Amino acid sequence: MEAITGEQLIKALALLAAGISMGFGAVGPGIGEGFVGGKACEAIGKRPDEANLITKTMIIGQAISETTGIYALVVALILIFVI
Amino acid sequence: MIEFVKICSVLGSGIAMGMGAIGSAIGEGMIAMKAVQSLGRQPQASGKIVRIMIIAQAVTETAAIFALVVSLLLLFQSGSEAVLKGYTFIAAGIAIGFGTIGAGFGAGLPGSAAMEGIGKQPENSDVLTIQMIIGQAVTQTSTIFALTVALILVMYQAPYSFLKIFAILGAGFAMGFGAVGPGIGDGLVAMNANKAVAKDPKHMGLLTRTMIIGQAITETTDIYAMVVTLILIFVV
Repeated sequence: MEAITGEQLIKALALLAAGISMGFGAVGPGIGEGFVGGKACEAIGKRPDEANLITKTMIIGQAISETTGIYALVVALILIFVI
Repeated sequence: MIEFVKICSVLGSGIAMGMGAIGSAIGEGMIAMKAVQSLGRQPQASGKIVRIMIIAQAVTETAAIFALVVSLLLLFQSGSEAVLKGYTFIAAGIAIGFGTIGAGFGAGLPGSAAMEGIGKQPENSDVLTIQMIIGQAVTQTSTIFALTVALILVMYQAPYSFLKIFAILGAGFAMGFGAVGPGIGDGLVAMNANKAVAKDPKHMGLLTRTMIIGQAITETTDIYAMVVTLILIFVV
């Protein structure tokens, strides 16, 4: 087995870091979006006539919760393709 | 090197089943807890409560069964000359082991809400069972992603390179931990939808629609994790 250069080591650890970044980065947004969706269902159960408004707000809230997941994705892709 | 690959497959097998049992066990425990409470409140509906409890626990069990399948697959792998196979076995164990925690726990949440609802109003049991099964089925998506990735990793073959080792391990972490959050999140959505249906079953159609939209959006993070995983396995 030939010797491993520093550059290879950096690239290799960047790939591992990409996996860790996306893996742990997905935990928070997943749970957070679940809270939003859950409370939206609860609210529709109480006030079904406001369903459209609640669904709209739910989607906006979930999209904003999602942003941290997108950050994790962007960092993972940078680690894979740029470094 | 055959010994090394064998050691790795046994290690992967242990991670898969050890971690894979956590979520489903907690989820099924929550369902049984609420079922017992409901029995205390409505002893005359015991047949119904026990039947639906078993259905709910069976669906929750799916995640652990997936982990068991991958664990057995890894346990009975014969040794291989290719060193990289050892790392793919560990990564497969991490992907399915941690990937089932979220969905197992998540599937328990709608189950427990349904059991509570049946305990309050046993006459709503049919509606609640349907709503519960839809919610639990969607919650399982994250485990199915993890299972797919784990099976790909078990079968995967590539020439050895130093970079590939870390890419494969990274793929395992991305899918394994990436599936935890969306699994729990899907379960939270389904739990509250079930509670709302239990209060007022006539809004079930509207609630199912909202629940599925909410769960689909929650699932996007899981899809990101899967995309990164597949890039790490096949592109790098």
